[in-house]
Amino acid sequence: MSDETAMLREPWVDFSRQREAGKFGIWVFLASETLFFGALMLTYSVCRIEHPAAFAAAGRETNIWYGTINTAVLLTSSLTIAVAAQGAESYARLRRLVIACLVVTALLGLAFIVIKGFEYKEDMDKHLVPGAGFALPERAAQLFFGFYWLVTSVHAIHLSIGIALVGRLVWVLLRRELPVTENPEIEVTALYWHLVDIVWIFLYPLIYLPGRSS
Amino acid sequence: MTDSLLAGELPLPPRPDYLRHGSTVWSWLSTTDHKRIAILYAVTITIFFFLGGAAITAVRLELFQPNGWLMTSDSYNKLFSFHGIIMVWFFLVPSIPNTLGNFLLPLMIGAPDVAFPRLNLFSWYLTIAAGAFTVYALVAGGVDTGWTFYTPYSSMFSNTHVFAAAAGVFVVGFASIATGVNFIATTHMLRAPGMTWFRLPLFVWAIYATSLIMVLATPVLAISLLLVIAERVFGLPIFDPARGGDPILFQHLFWFYSHPAVYIMVLPAMGVVSEIIPCFARRRIFGYDFMVYAMLAIAGIGFFVWGHHMFVSGQSPLASLVFSFLSFIIAVPSAIKVFNWTASLYRGQISFESPMLYALGFVGLFTTGGLSGLFLASIPVDVHVTDTYFVVAHFHYIMVGGSVSAFFAGMHFWWPKVTGRRYPESWAKFAAILMYAGFNMTFLPQFFAGYLGMPRRYHTYPAEFQIYNVMSSAGAAVLAIAYLLPLFYLTWSLFYGGKAGRNPFGATGLEWTTSSPPPPKNFDWQPRIDRAPYDYHAEGMSAGTDPPEMQNAKETQ
Amino acid sequence: MSEPDKSGLTVRRLWTRNLVIWAALMALLLLSLVSAYIPMGRITTASGIVIAIAKSMLVVLLFMELASARPLIRLAAMAGLVFLAAMFALTLSDILARL
Repeated sequence: MSDETAMLREPWVDFSRQREAGKFGIWVFLASETLFFGALMLTYSVCRIEHPAAFAAAGRETNIWYGTINTAVLLTSSLTIAVAAQGAESYARLRRLVIACLVVTALLGLAFIVIKGFEYKEDMDKHLVPGAGFALPERAAQLFFGFYWLVTSVHAIHLSIGIALVGRLVWVLLRRELPVTENPEIEVTALYWHLVDIVWIFLYPLIYLPGRSS
Repeated sequence: MTDSLLAGELPLPPRPDYLRHGSTVWSWLSTTDHKRIAILYAVTITIFFFLGGAAITAVRLELFQPNGWLMTSDSYNKLFSFHGIIMVWFFLVPSIPNTLGNFLLPLMIGAPDVAFPRLNLFSWYLTIAAGAFTVYALVAGGVDTGWTFYTPYSSMFSNTHVFAAAAGVFVVGFASIATGVNFIATTHMLRAPGMTWFRLPLFVWAIYATSLIMVLATPVLAISLLLVIAERVFGLPIFDPARGGDPILFQHLFWFYSHPAVYIMVLPAMGVVSEIIPCFARRRIFGYDFMVYAMLAIAGIGFFVWGHHMFVSGQSPLASLVFSFLSFIIAVPSAIKVFNWTASLYRGQISFESPMLYALGFVGLFTTGGLSGLFLASIPVDVHVTDTYFVVAHFHYIMVGGSVSAFFAGMHFWWPKVTGRRYPESWAKFAAILMYAGFNMTFLPQFFAGYLGMPRRYHTYPAEFQIYNVMSSAGAAVLAIAYLLPLFYLTWSLFYGGKAGRNPFGATGLEWTTSSPPPPKNFDWQPRIDRAPYDYHAEGMSAGTDPPEMQNAKETQ
Repeated sequence: MSEPDKSGLTVRRLWTRNLVIWAALMALLLLSLVSAYIPMGRITTASGIVIAIAKSMLVVLLFMELASARPLIRLAAMAGLVFLAAMFALTLSDILARL
């Protein structure tokens, strides 16, 4: 079990206990993140309840193709990082598979950011930035886009942190600084990545789907 | 072997304690030892405490006269905002959890360190970075919104440095969350063999409950400040009524954090007092189980009462009714705690040493503050006294009379353990009594002034209120001396104080079984626990100096 | 790769399990896209949220393996949701009564 001694950290004496604590710790942090994004979504809900028509009109202005494709990209990245995490847990020594899946995950994350960049460009060209010269006549449509810019950029920051974490993991694993099998960092990074994905799963109907049927 | 133990001689080879285990500056700045990080925090928050205190000293000087003799209203607004922001986020929130909590949590559960030691250090760096930035922003530019950052004033009208201050508070929030995650994981994962949940000292329970609030409430504060920043910097209209925004929404988000934050400040204080009272009454704590449930109830219900800050904001009457009802409910667990502390004193062999004086002061002041809180939970009374000095007096009774007294109680109780030195007891007693007197002189008149209608946050006031303000300012001078005294005699004790033994107060608890100061890994042996906490000697028997856990630990070694 | 057969088997099982979940997620994504264009009033909005909840349940329970996690982990995951629900309920008790 030299792998385990390489990964054992202070103050732990037992590696499985350390792993459990890391996993528990990240779940507690995810509970905190739930309230972080939850508060943003509460803001959205309150504004939408107060101004339903303006939100429908504003929602129609978003580009549903960018939104849907990006959702698919993130869901796929969740698949690859789940395979990586589960592969690292098994004793079948799947080093190459795990690293490949992590690389694909990071690339999908980057793809999301690039697509988002094109979308931002288009939104700016359509004058969907709140303030003077805003494109839509409804007053509260600015609220929708205020929320849109804020929440997508907060999400993008979270995703960029995720990409950096996965990239670091690939680097460390490739240089064999840490073993792949049972590496707790893979599991913890994956849990964080999934949360960022879940946030987007909720943002998709909130941002891209209002007002499509009317 | 047991005899040599009772004589205080550990049959172990000499090894450096945690203070002497590396003495370079770098060994402190790069330490992951929870005890050293606690010291780093203690130094940091002491600086913030005296900075915030300096600001309010100027405010109290100004209020000696009703006509604004000392400063402009602009600088007055900036000074009380400085006081509030620094005291709440950079002193009170980290005070007991990050100093005493950091130091004691692993010791009390028999662990060598916290679960994530590097995260612990990172959290300290975040705190000082955010703190330095905020102090710079508040001194160089100033903020006049008060610590509450209410919209739309903060987002649309204030032309002060709201962005910088809010960003500093935003960052220190992450330090708070990191600490919370760390303590929760530590309590769950690192308890020594035999340390079951209902054998935990109440201080550990208090820190655990506090951490839950830190983790679950702080992110919402982050969002409310982020929204203010977004509105100020990027013109997003979230709180702008002219563009459909809802300024009351800010208050919902802000108080969803800031009301539970009151319990972040007072729960650890309750934990400290629950350790000290049994020790100096030589009695088992009365109703241990109920103390635990009451603390968890306070932490939980604390999330459901925030709307009582908003009775006059334009919130719907239905919501006000719900929040008023829930606010009355939270008085129940708080009352349980007060009754249990008092009951623990009953037929005890009480000795009035300085930690006990501070702790008893806490009980009295917390009770006063809590009872005045019931006035504010009741809508009709609250409408009358909203934004008056009644509110100011109420929350200072909780936060200063309560939390700060308990912080000093804990400092004096565990000082010998932390530093290995004894402080001059008569000076400490004098400071404790002076603090109690000065505190009541300062804040009791504010209840009257507020009830008669003196509004808070104004830099001039009608002459009829001058008598209360003079009393209050004079009391503040006494209070300032009482706060400065420990700074001197505790520092003195570091160099000239007598050496402290392992357990100078004859207290129970694992932290007293290791040497003072403790070794780097806390224990020279793995502690094992086979009994509930507060196992003080029964009446009539002499109060021994050797806690039962100690004997037990050696037997099973 | 001392046991190529065994690891090959593990790999296949790994992919089948997760690809099924991924396919379900994609199907739900399509479903929510389509249902957004069907005029059903409030139900249209609700369908988007309900499908998002379904998708996140799949991710949380199966990708994040909460379904097979220890009770302590489940408790941590639930804690955030409970207080989130309280925040929504109490805030909306104001907003909805104010409209």
